[in-house]
Amino acid sequence: MKLTLEVWRQRDAASPGAFETYEVADATAEMTLLELLDRLNDQLVEQGREPVAFESDCREGICGCCGVNVDGRPHGPQANTPSCEQHVRSFADGEVVRLEPLRSAAFPVVKDLVVDRSALDRVIQAGGHVAVDAGTAPDADTTRVSYETAEMALDFAACIGCGACVAACPNGSASLFTGAKLTHLAALPQTRQQRGARAVAMVDQMEHDFGPCSTFGECAVVCPAGIPLSAIAAVGKERMRAFLRGRAS
Amino acid sequence: MAGAPTSTRPEPDRVPAAARPATTRPPVPATWVLKVVMAVTGSIFGVFVVFHLVGNLKVFLGPEEFDAYAHWLQRDLLAPLVPHGWFIWIFRAVLTLSLVAHVWAAVVLRRRARVARGPHRRQGMRTFRSFQARSMLVTGAVLLFFVVFHVLDLTTGTQPAASAEFVHGSAYANLVHSFQRPVVAAFYMLAIGTLFLHLAHGLWSVVNDLGATGRRLRATGAAVAGGVGLLVLVGNLLIPVAVLTGLVS
Repeated sequence: MKLTLEVWRQRDAASPGAFETYEVADATAEMTLLELLDRLNDQLVEQGREPVAFESDCREGICGCCGVNVDGRPHGPQANTPSCEQHVRSFADGEVVRLEPLRSAAFPVVKDLVVDRSALDRVIQAGGHVAVDAGTAPDADTTRVSYETAEMALDFAACIGCGACVAACPNGSASLFTGAKLTHLAALPQTRQQRGARAVAMVDQMEHDFGPCSTFGECAVVCPAGIPLSAIAAVGKERMRAFLRGRAS
Repeated sequence: MAGAPTSTRPEPDRVPAAARPATTRPPVPATWVLKVVMAVTGSIFGVFVVFHLVGNLKVFLGPEEFDAYAHWLQRDLLAPLVPHGWFIWIFRAVLTLSLVAHVWAAVVLRRRARVARGPHRRQGMRTFRSFQARSMLVTGAVLLFFVVFHVLDLTTGTQPAASAEFVHGSAYANLVHSFQRPVVAAFYMLAIGTLFLHLAHGLWSVVNDLGATGRRLRATGAAVAGGVGLLVLVGNLLIPVAVLTGLVS
């Protein structure tokens, strides 16, 4: 099948970008979006032109590297699916598909479809880890965690940090991302020790780079890890809790 | 080998690296504080419009009941806890302060959202929820204009907002005369529709901003938000329709 691709080309962060139009005549339905870009790049290299820069690593939805806007929607037309698992079969033969980098003021474009997502790393640096002496690994069952709690923590730990929630948000908010981390870390015994301090540090850092949440709900629609919208409520909950009860657990 | 480290465990007196203050300063006032201000003041308006609706529906009980209720609100409510006629002014002060705080927080948050979004506008949003969220500023502005009109029309009786037949103290007659003007009745119906859009989404945002993460609590919150919105929509629409069809005259 034939697809017309309008791809955002930008030399570097300082240069202005623009869309360029390419045709891929031999796309097949089972190709992923990234394989479609690979095919396009093969063509461009054969013609002696500069290939399109895009990020990818595992190509199985666990690394969080890939992520481009497809017709204005992060990752692509299929809900809760990363770019690497979006397929060409979502498009009609002859369709014009617009590919651009994830859009947010917090994500400056590095080149073409590659953005710098360091702003998310700074939120993690502020408190998305354990910084108390947790000791050696405890014997099994000395600290009990219920099955439901463990599953819930894992569900929220599933966030791969791809940044699609930020790009999906008309406010450029990272509430789904931050809320997922806060929920996951507040649920487990070792990480719970710094619950209050973590909430203050992470929310303060988040608010510096990202916008407020207005409950559009767009983030949860595109999230490839399926983080539920309740994560955004965790931001307010944990931050207010830290305010009312202090920075300890 | 003197002085060589024997353990990789952190020194007990070492300052934890994590949950450290944000590397960059958060905005002042904090975004989460502004969201709490929006949620609390919005909830005050939510409770207010429900009680306002209860009063409005007394129009179907006839002029004596309606005017007596209006008189009670203005003179006797909370008396003798507060002197006669005080309640209405305390109440107006609370509503006015809430309105100022709500609009101020909305403007500050909107500006932050716009900065965080960057130059590229999010496209391809299709859900009704998203439409409601996007139109909050517009519906809010319409409601603000409506509130001014509504007070001039039925509280102060200022021309030309009020009907020519306005008489202080005759709440029932003033309402009927006002709604007998088709343009005014149409504007009221438009405002009630706008109120539904604003209120239903606003209350759902309250559930999120005040940190409701539990499954049942969120489901209840969503039902209350939608239910209150619909109740206020249908209940208030009955009145101009009843006046226009001559059911109430």
